[in-house]
Amino acid sequence: MNTPIIDPLQGDFPEVIEEYLEHGCMKCIAFNRRGTLLAAGCNDGSCVVWDFETRGVAKELRDNECSSPITSVCWSKCGNRILVSAADKSLSLWDVLSGKRMTRIVLQQTSLQARLHPGSSMPSLCLACPLSCAPMIVDLNTGNTTSLKVSVSEISNGPNLPSRNKCSDGITSFTPTAACFSKYGSLVYVGNSKGEILVIDHQDGEVRAMVPISGGSVVKNIVFSRNGQYLLTNSNDRVIRIYENLLPLKEEVRALDDLNKNFNDLDGVEKLKAVGTKCLTLFREFQDSITKVHWKAPCFSGDGEWVVGGSASKGEHKIYIWDRAGHLVKILEGPKEALIDLAWHPVRPIVVSVSLNGIVYIWAKDYTENWSAFAPDFKELEENEEYVEREDEFDLIPETEKVKGSDVNEDEEVDIVTVEEDAAFSDSDMSQEELCFLPATPSRDVPEQDKCLESSSKLVDSTNTGSPLSEEAGPNGHMPNQASSPVEDDAGGARVKRKRKPSEKVLELQAEKIKKPSKPSKSSKPRGKSLVDQDNSNGFDGVELTDE
Amino acid sequence: MTEPSESFKPYTLSQTLTGHKRAISAVKFSSNGRLLASSSADKTLRTYAFTNSDSDSGSRTLSPMQEYEGHEQGVSDLAFSSDSRFLVSASDDKTLRLWDVPTGSLIKTLHGHTNYVFCVNFNPQSNIIVSGSFDETVRVWDVKSGKCLKVLPAHSDPVTAVDFNRDGSLIVSSSYDGLCRIWDASTGHCMKTLIDDENPPVSFVKFSPNGKFILVGTLDNTLRLWNYSTGKFLKSYTGHVNSKYCLSSTFSITNGKYVVGGSEDNCIYLWELQTRKIVQKLEGHSDTVVSVSCHPMENMIASGALGNDKTVKIWTQQKD
Repeated sequence: MNTPIIDPLQGDFPEVIEEYLEHGCMKCIAFNRRGTLLAAGCNDGSCVVWDFETRGVAKELRDNECSSPITSVCWSKCGNRILVSAADKSLSLWDVLSGKRMTRIVLQQTSLQARLHPGSSMPSLCLACPLSCAPMIVDLNTGNTTSLKVSVSEISNGPNLPSRNKCSDGITSFTPTAACFSKYGSLVYVGNSKGEILVIDHQDGEVRAMVPISGGSVVKNIVFSRNGQYLLTNSNDRVIRIYENLLPLKEEVRALDDLNKNFNDLDGVEKLKAVGTKCLTLFREFQDSITKVHWKAPCFSGDGEWVVGGSASKGEHKIYIWDRAGHLVKILEGPKEALIDLAWHPVRPIVVSVSLNGIVYIWAKDYTENWSAFAPDFKELEENEEYVEREDEFDLIPETEKVKGSDVNEDEEVDIVTVEEDAAFSDSDMSQEELCFLPATPSRDVPEQDKCLESSSKLVDSTNTGSPLSEEAGPNGHMPNQASSPVEDDAGGARVKRKRKPSEKVLELQAEKIKKPSKPSKSSKPRGKSLVDQDNSNGFDGVELTDE
Repeated sequence: MTEPSESFKPYTLSQTLTGHKRAISAVKFSSNGRLLASSSADKTLRTYAFTNSDSDSGSRTLSPMQEYEGHEQGVSDLAFSSDSRFLVSASDDKTLRLWDVPTGSLIKTLHGHTNYVFCVNFNPQSNIIVSGSFDETVRVWDVKSGKCLKVLPAHSDPVTAVDFNRDGSLIVSSSYDGLCRIWDASTGHCMKTLIDDENPPVSFVKFSPNGKFILVGTLDNTLRLWNYSTGKFLKSYTGHVNSKYCLSSTFSITNGKYVVGGSEDNCIYLWELQTRKIVQKLEGHSDTVVSVSCHPMENMIASGALGNDKTVKIWTQQKD
């Protein structure tokens, strides 16, 4: 956004639930690079791509071969591809624009996490973290897998260990190991069950450096900030640690080579540790010392200024937000369902969380009207100011002649065509065309059918459900059923419902014209009531009743 | 300092398109440059396509392609989607309608406004439509479902124009209340209000191609170029007549930088962007020229005029 009046990377954080998205039972989410599309993996093996601007479903990636729950979703850097890992041990690579599956690979184990290589625009490599063995690099074109070492003690053993069901370092059997790519993908950072961060060059599989985490407890998550400068680890000892990345972003391997030369007098593990000290330094630790809560899905904000982590306790949906200096700035509390995934929008102060029953909540700032924007000479005061009149304030003075000539130098050159580079996406140096949005095809209106909106028990049409914000049904009013929509992502039985927290103003405007939203969708959701209470749409209900 | 006016080649009338039975309200070229659309008080829209001309590779002619019927009252504005597949039209029947361009069929009707819908535009991604109405609000619509996503309490008088900037992050709206307001398209919050010492009714507003400036037409016979970040205007263009109707104007950037606008003296004015001098006055229409549009790639201007004229005229530069 080349708009100087909106700051794209505001150092702000969300505060309230703005809206929720429902489409089947979603399990995991990922934003594309620009934050215009949100991909969500569902319980039934399909992946839904939401248009984040309209909060509607843009595309559905459905595969007949895969019907087991999706465990992770990952966008390619250019946004053209999505990699999906499912509980049936498969990895699928989809082309987003066409909605076609390009590759499907079945591994020996289900991957908990699958990440596409971030460096290239058409990635063929991905990093998969299986359920209970070492993470591996999978070549999507050939299906070859290369396991990565998870322990430095293996170095002395020599040969590359094949993936087996049992974890090869023998400490605990079924502990998944966390791993992530560095920003440009030349290195993989692995957090193992001994509480060590290993820096591995995935081209040759060599461990280049090792950073032990104090306390040595199992690492559950490891993730980089978007700019690649900070690394976050989430350990079993309920502490989130932030490390600063000391390696240069682009020439990482070469820098490691140089460091290696410096420590030539050391050997083996000692050498790795020494190199490790030059790769990462501990920056901050976050924990909740009172409740000692386990963290789930921690990640950075888009600009790396904020760290967000979900509480892994069952039965509560809490999101903690810290600033990078370590201060807890906010705890967001959602409805009483456990949180299973979390994502921060790449540019806006928006957080998206997935609850256990498959609903995606969108948290945004609680907006207070900026009155100065409406009237430029209106200054907002923090507190009362005493105004003292001028001596001659109320004197009648003949108007001095206003000089009508504008003091604007109208001869200055004005440039109306040059576009400035967007600072937030400055590393868009890709040859491949980036996919920022999916073309929207309007769904055809159904010819007017005289039916009550409430009579339907099942909504088949995923679009055009009783819209809370639409007016009285005119000639082509929103009839929710029987719309055999030509849109291909209209999966039978899938219901898309959007609810938003209307502002006061909108409620007033809509109060006279609102039509009841379809009752069935509310009644068929057992937890609908608590949700309604929680996201404060009581005003909505109130309006609905008065309309009667 | 450059003197582009010396090399300015005058535009001449190359084609007149008839067919509408009442005043024209808007003309627009599609972004791929292959189609022209016009809307009229006769409740219809028409599109025209370029036909391959014979030997003369320079001039291409437009011929009527399709007629779009369905509105119950006159149409005030229209817009193409970025891929030129869809047209949206704003009408006095309080609705907006989405049309399939090649076939002419009505796809969708957007209900919500409570008074005449006066202006409409797609965002660059064409998943969102913005409309302004006599009910003093600006509405943001989802193209796919037709739902109204937001209602902006924009003004205290009829909204005369709405436009998106080039990445779709901002909406600008203008109104008879004399204000231009800039809105954040994703949240619907007001970002800025542009106001000057005097506030004559604003009849038109549009972003510059790079989205940094806005071209504002007011009913005091003036066009101004504002830098909305600073809130100050940089250029003003006068000489034409505009005190009654909402005349649209645009930028011409295919061959030098100009501002093109219609006028109530039945002419089209071309000003040089930087020097603000009038470089040409195109005569030919027999009524107020209410809308102008520049071809995205070629040096061609399309114009439409009110009820005494009812034609769309195409102007091109003479080849040497």
